Amino acid sequence: MFSVYKKELQSFFYTPFAYVITALFIFLFTYMFNAALGDLKQPILQFTFPDIFYNVIFFFIFLIPILTMRTFADERKFGTEVLLMTSPVSVIQIILGKYLANLTVFLFMIAGSALFPIFTYLHGTLIMNQLICAYIGFFAWGAMFIAIGMLISSFTENSIIAAVIGEIIMFAFMFIDDFSRTDFIMQFPKLQSVLYAFAAQPRFAYFSQGFIRLSDLVFFASTIIICLSWNYIAIERRRWKRG
Amino acid sequence: MITIEKLTKYYGTNRAVNNISFTINDNEILGFLGPNGAGKSTTMNMIAGYLPMSAGKVTIYGSDISKAPVAAKKNIGYLPEIPPVYPDMRVREYLSFCAGLKRIRSAERKDEIARVMKLLKIEDVQDKLIKNLSKGYKQRVGFAQALLGNPKFLILDEPTVGLDPNQVIEVRNIIKDLKKDHSVIFSSHILSEVSAVCDRVVIINKGDIKAVDTIENLEKKLGGSLTLRIKIKGDRTKASNIIELTDGVQEIVSIDAEGNDFYAFAVKLKEGAGDDTKNNIMAELIKHGIQISEIYTEKPDLEAVFVDMINRSSKNNGLLDLLDEIEPVDEPETESDEESAADEEKEDKE
Repeated sequence: MFSVYKKELQSFFYTPFAYVITALFIFLFTYMFNAALGDLKQPILQFTFPDIFYNVIFFFIFLIPILTMRTFADERKFGTEVLLMTSPVSVIQIILGKYLANLTVFLFMIAGSALFPIFTYLHGTLIMNQLICAYIGFFAWGAMFIAIGMLISSFTENSIIAAVIGEIIMFAFMFIDDFSRTDFIMQFPKLQSVLYAFAAQPRFAYFSQGFIRLSDLVFFASTIIICLSWNYIAIERRRWKRG
Repeated sequence: MITIEKLTKYYGTNRAVNNISFTINDNEILGFLGPNGAGKSTTMNMIAGYLPMSAGKVTIYGSDISKAPVAAKKNIGYLPEIPPVYPDMRVREYLSFCAGLKRIRSAERKDEIARVMKLLKIEDVQDKLIKNLSKGYKQRVGFAQALLGNPKFLILDEPTVGLDPNQVIEVRNIIKDLKKDHSVIFSSHILSEVSAVCDRVVIINKGDIKAVDTIENLEKKLGGSLTLRIKIKGDRTKASNIIELTDGVQEIVSIDAEGNDFYAFAVKLKEGAGDDTKNNIMAELIKHGIQISEIYTEKPDLEAVFVDMINRSSKNNGLLDLLDEIEPVDEPETESDEESAADEEKEDKE
């Protein structure tokens, strides 16, 4: 598992890939940070990082599928899947290795965003507990979407298609919240509560307000587990079905 | 030892590999021969544990590839048809990754990588990106990967495709050297290659095994008799009389005059005749003062054997049927069929 992890990290960090995607993320974050600063009004000069994170998430859905699109699609495209499958490592180890590598790149990106709180801390006061909660929420949120992105990558051998489908699904996750509050859905309260349960955004909102709720953690963790298990099934199923 | 029992693979309703069985002995190079699309790669993928089989069993040094894949795969080095290389990695990085996958201890990794790189002569490209390598080098990097960790059993799917003639010879020599402490299965659609390297061959076509035997036996069984080529200087009639009267000669096929009193004879020998006949002819000719400038036995054309094999009606399922054709024997199978049919009838009556 460690060798798969290491190889994936190499493929991210020995190529410009990880740096470009991190730069893009920091660019987005800078933009939001500046916007927040621009909105400052007298007499209380106050802005919240959770709000910035909340705004960044919207753009972030474009980045996650780009990060995960190659995970399995490229293995199939280059025929290197054979190498992994005929080595004495199990499919579960391969999936976990790849997942951890993607998470590491994600952490690298988040670490880049820590610049701004540090800057704020130097020139003002920082409400630490809210910030930490926002980071935990952001991480949980990203970890879930990486699992989804990897799953989609295992469905196709074209990484662009994997990215596009990933974007669509992430959009769906973003807007399921608004959708569940439309008048039409409101007519069916039970359906509404089911849909609302799947909305990731309000869950993030709790984190950003400084709440760590067990139900939110369970939601993110169980989605990750389901996606990774499904990933395993998808890979095995294709081997069996193939032709 | 590696045993393959009744291996079958269906792609949907299309049967790609049909009930094939053979074994690969220790320290043996087994050639796996068949035209394109015969099911070679499918079979190899199943042996290597990449594709699951529809039916059958593959046992590698006592471990069943489906039931104990990790244990079985530890003994396998596999070079697929397309070398499984990552274009964005450097050769050394790639081999280091593969060494990790194969669970080679990190203390030994460096030496092991150096060993395979030396063996395949890829040391000079070790710091290059794989995507910048030529096809031949990529193939060799893929081969190096298969040799990492010195697995006892090597599966090589057309390892010489895309190499230049020099490299082909190098790779063949490497494979021959591997025989000392490995078992190798080696697929090809090129006959001369298989006959140059392998101890035994399995001939497969459309998913059916056509033959499993040594090259010599195949030649003997299917090629019939040998042809003797003699080039002499001297009296043509005298020479042909001598040749015709020697034991083991069936007939003189042709005599070509090549000028300056040189004549080339093509002599068909009787089945089973060989070196003794050749020596007798030589001795007689020399005794009668005829100079021999060239004499050799020509093996039957293996290519023809191959074509013949794969074109045989697909009813033949294996070597046994082929042997039956050559040496007709009683067929117990039909009897047992009748018996079982009779049994069934009895049962029906009951």
